[in-house]
Amino acid sequence: MSYKGTREAFSVALTELATIDERIVFVSSDSLKAMRAVAFAEKFPEKYIECGISEQGSVDVAAGLAACGQIPFVGTYAGFLTMRACEQMRTFVAYPNLNVKFVGINAGLVGGEREGVTHQFYEDLGILSSIPNVTIFTPADAQQTYEAVKASIEINGPVYIRAGSGREEDIYPAGTPFAEEGFRVLRDYGKDLLICASGFILNRVIASAELLQKEGIHATLADVNILQNRSPEKLIELLKKFDRVLTVEDHNVNGGLGSYICTLACEHHPMYVERMGLKDTFGESGGAEELADAYGFSPENIGKQVHKLMERGR
Amino acid sequence: MKTEEVKKFADKLRYEAYRMVYEGGDGHPGPAFSIADIIAVLYEDVMKIDPENPDWLDRDRLILSKGHACPILYAALSEKGYYGESVEHFNLRKLHTTFQGHPVMGKTPGIDMTSGSLGNGIPIGTGMALAAKLQNKDYRTYVITGDGELQEGVVWEGVMIAAHHQLDNLTVLVDHNGWQSGGSLKETGGVDEIDSKFASFGWKILHIDGHDHAAIKAALMESAGQKGSPTAIICDCVKGKGLSFMENNNDWHKKVPTKEQFEAARGLIEEEKHEL
Repeated sequence: MSYKGTREAFSVALTELATIDERIVFVSSDSLKAMRAVAFAEKFPEKYIECGISEQGSVDVAAGLAACGQIPFVGTYAGFLTMRACEQMRTFVAYPNLNVKFVGINAGLVGGEREGVTHQFYEDLGILSSIPNVTIFTPADAQQTYEAVKASIEINGPVYIRAGSGREEDIYPAGTPFAEEGFRVLRDYGKDLLICASGFILNRVIASAELLQKEGIHATLADVNILQNRSPEKLIELLKKFDRVLTVEDHNVNGGLGSYICTLACEHHPMYVERMGLKDTFGESGGAEELADAYGFSPENIGKQVHKLMERGR
Repeated sequence: MKTEEVKKFADKLRYEAYRMVYEGGDGHPGPAFSIADIIAVLYEDVMKIDPENPDWLDRDRLILSKGHACPILYAALSEKGYYGESVEHFNLRKLHTTFQGHPVMGKTPGIDMTSGSLGNGIPIGTGMALAAKLQNKDYRTYVITGDGELQEGVVWEGVMIAAHHQLDNLTVLVDHNGWQSGGSLKETGGVDEIDSKFASFGWKILHIDGHDHAAIKAALMESAGQKGSPTAIICDCVKGKGLSFMENNNDWHKKVPTKEQFEAARGLIEEEKHEL
C-alpha cells in the first residue's frame, strides 16, 4: 500500500492496531484532521478522545489512560508535544514508564515548511534525548512511519515517532520492517566515509551519495531510524569500519542525530565527524524543497561538506 | 458512617505524618495536616481498595495533585496495611527510600500516580476516569488539589476536558485553605470564587467544611450519585489543622519541628488519647 504521506501512514497503522488490540485509543489535541485520523474516529468513535487545543492536558489524559491499562497514541504537532507538554511527557509518562505513544508531525524544515517557525520543529529530538525511558523513532518516509507505528507497540513504554506533513519522498519499498538495530545501510559504495542520515531529507542524501560515487568518493550511507538506541552495538560496529562520518538531519545539530553519532564515535571510535543540520538558526516559511536547498540540504551542498571532511587530517 | 474510626484514623495520620517529617528532617507538615480529614474519610470509609493487592484493576484511584502533602497519604497507606505492619521508619526523603519527597507511581505501593508538579492531577484523573468508562468499570477517580495550585493553566485544560466527556466518575476535592508556598492566595494573586469557576465549566459543585468528617462523607456520596458531569467539592480547610501553633501559620508550609515542637504535638494530637 502506498500513502500520501507519513500522517496517512500513521492513521492506517493506528486503525489496524486498534482492530486487533482493544487497549489502543487516540488522544487528540484538536489534531484529528491534522493527523489524518478522521476515518479512525468514524470506525472507533469511543476510542477517539478529543481534548481540544490542550497539549499538556492531552498528555496528562494519556498518562491517566495508560495508568489504567489503555495504550494511548497522542498525535499532534511535534513541538507542541515536546516543548509545550515536555514536562508532562517527562514526569507523568516517561518517569513512571507508562505505555504512551507520541507521534509528532511537522518535524523539521521539510515538515513545517510554509507554516514558518511556529510550526517547524527542529528541537524535538534534542529535548527527548535527555529524558530516560523514551524510545525515539525517526522513520524516513511514509512506509517506514507505518512500520514504526506498528513497531512502537512492541515496546512497553513511551515511544516518540517523528513524522512530517506530506512532503516526504518515498524511499523504502512497502513491507520493509522498521530496523530493530536502529539503522539500515542503504548504499554501500565503499569505505571512504560513512554518511548517517535520518528523516525526510534522506532522498537528498541518497542523491548526494550517488553523485559522490561518480566523483570517485565511495561512501556508505546508513539511515539511522532509532536515536539513543539502548542497544547501539551494531551501529558501533559499523562506525568502527570508518575514519570519517558525516551526519545529515533536518533538526538542530545539537541533540539529535549528530549528537548521537558524535557520542558513539567519541566513546567507541574517535574520528572526524561533520554534522549537517540547523546550526544556531531558526528556519522560515517556504516550500519544502526550496527550504531544504536554502538550508544546506541540496545533494550538491552535502557533497561539498563531504569533500571538506575528506580533507581533514590529510 | 464509621464516625469514631475515622476520627481515630485522622488523628493517627496526623501524628504519623508529623513523626515522618520530624524523623526525615524535611517535608511539608502544614499542607499535610490541611487534608488529613479528607484523606481519613476517603481511605477509612469511602474508597474501594485492597491494600494487599494495590494494583487491583477495579480499585478506586486517588491522585494527590498537591504531592508535597504526601506524608499524610503515606501515613494512610501505612495504616491501611499496604506495607504489612505499620511502617516503623519511613525515612522520608532519604536516599533509597520508598517514600520519596513527592509521590512516585511504581515505587511506592498504593500510589496511583506520580505527582508533585502542581496542576496535573485533574487532567490525569480525567484520563483515569475515561479509562473506567472505556472499560465499563465502576471505579471512581478522586483528585485532591490545592487551591493555590489552581493558578496552573493545565488545571483548566483538565477541567474542560472532563466536563466535555461528562465524567461523572471523577471527583475533585479542592483543599481550600487560602495559603500557598509564598503566602496567602490573596497576596499572590490567587484564585477567587473557585465554586463559580468550576461551575462555569459545567461541573457539579459542593462546598463543605473540609474538617467535618460527616460533611466530607456526605459530599463524596453525593458526587458518586452525580450523573453527566464531574464533581468538585470545595473543602474549606485550615492549613496545619490539628496543631494550634501550626494552624494558619504559613511558616509550616515546609518546616521540620524541633524536638520540643515534636514532643508538644504528642499532647496536642488526639493520637495521644488512643494509646500511642
